[in-house]
Amino acid sequence: MFTRDELERYERQIMIKGFGEEGQEKLKRAKVFIAGAGGLGSPVAMYLVAAGVGTIRVVDHDRVELSNLNRQVLHWDEDIGKRKADSALEKLRKLNPRVELEAIAETITEANAVQLVAGFDLIVDAMDNLPTRYLLNKVAVERNIPFFHGAVYGFEGRAMTIIPGKTACLECVYRGRITPKEKFPVIGVTPAVIGCIQSTEVIKYIVGIGELLTNRLLIYDGLNLKFTELQVAKDPNCEHCSHLPVKSKQ
Amino acid sequence: MSIKINVSALHHYTDGQQVVEVNGSTVGQCLDHLVKQFPSIEPGLFDKDGKLHSDVDIYVNEESAYPEELANMVKDGDELHITFLIGGG
Repeated sequence: MFTRDELERYERQIMIKGFGEEGQEKLKRAKVFIAGAGGLGSPVAMYLVAAGVGTIRVVDHDRVELSNLNRQVLHWDEDIGKRKADSALEKLRKLNPRVELEAIAETITEANAVQLVAGFDLIVDAMDNLPTRYLLNKVAVERNIPFFHGAVYGFEGRAMTIIPGKTACLECVYRGRITPKEKFPVIGVTPAVIGCIQSTEVIKYIVGIGELLTNRLLIYDGLNLKFTELQVAKDPNCEHCSHLPVKSKQ
Repeated sequence: MSIKINVSALHHYTDGQQVVEVNGSTVGQCLDHLVKQFPSIEPGLFDKDGKLHSDVDIYVNEESAYPEELANMVKDGDELHITFLIGGG
């Protein structure tokens, strides 16, 4: 049941065909884990909080730097030096006080990843490096938690949705390859686009509408304003997911 | 045979062209023809032993050409995509 305030807040999305109060109720019951509160994590968290996802945990170990502010729109000039977890929590609470929010200032590692995601229904990949993405992919696959991948570079972005046991996972596609750990170029609108695509996927998954971005790697080319879909498939030798029994395709 | 290669990620090396037409019956021959037209593109694609860099992915008609990317056969009208691994957030 919703309060009058909630019904008014979510009125426009409840109006969407196939969404309704039932969809809103599903969002309210959902628990989403967001790995990262940076360029991708900012729009992901803001739009999921605005949409009324019931419980959200954001994890980020960094502090806000001036050079973050071109893209990490959860953090403002006054936040420089603060922990991103604290800065994010402050804004998100003001955006929608009805969402149960938690922000943790920790580095996601092999030692704590399982514990951090325990109890959550979905994991959003808003990281800034591939090794942690692979770690989260592995945990998601092992725990049977849907995983929503996004990555950016300059005006380019990627997104893909992973349903463990049903669809190709990140390891199937990237095979554990990494890029050099260096400062990457990016303009804020790129993670805004990709983060919104990830949030769209999360909302669709929870509500149960539409067609998910599974077994498809979406390539966003902002310079030419083009979206390209590349077909990807489960790798029968994948180190992360090949041991899982194959379920019907999503 | 005319094959189109989408090189938008490499357009700085192709005089701004997003798509380049090449000839070849394998992916390797198509990439060789691409390099012949735009020699400065080569270091971005291949190491000094002529192997594709590990962060390069090739798709033929939107399907991955992995694992034997260069040996993949192509035919007239096929389209290749060159993409690079990215990890920023």
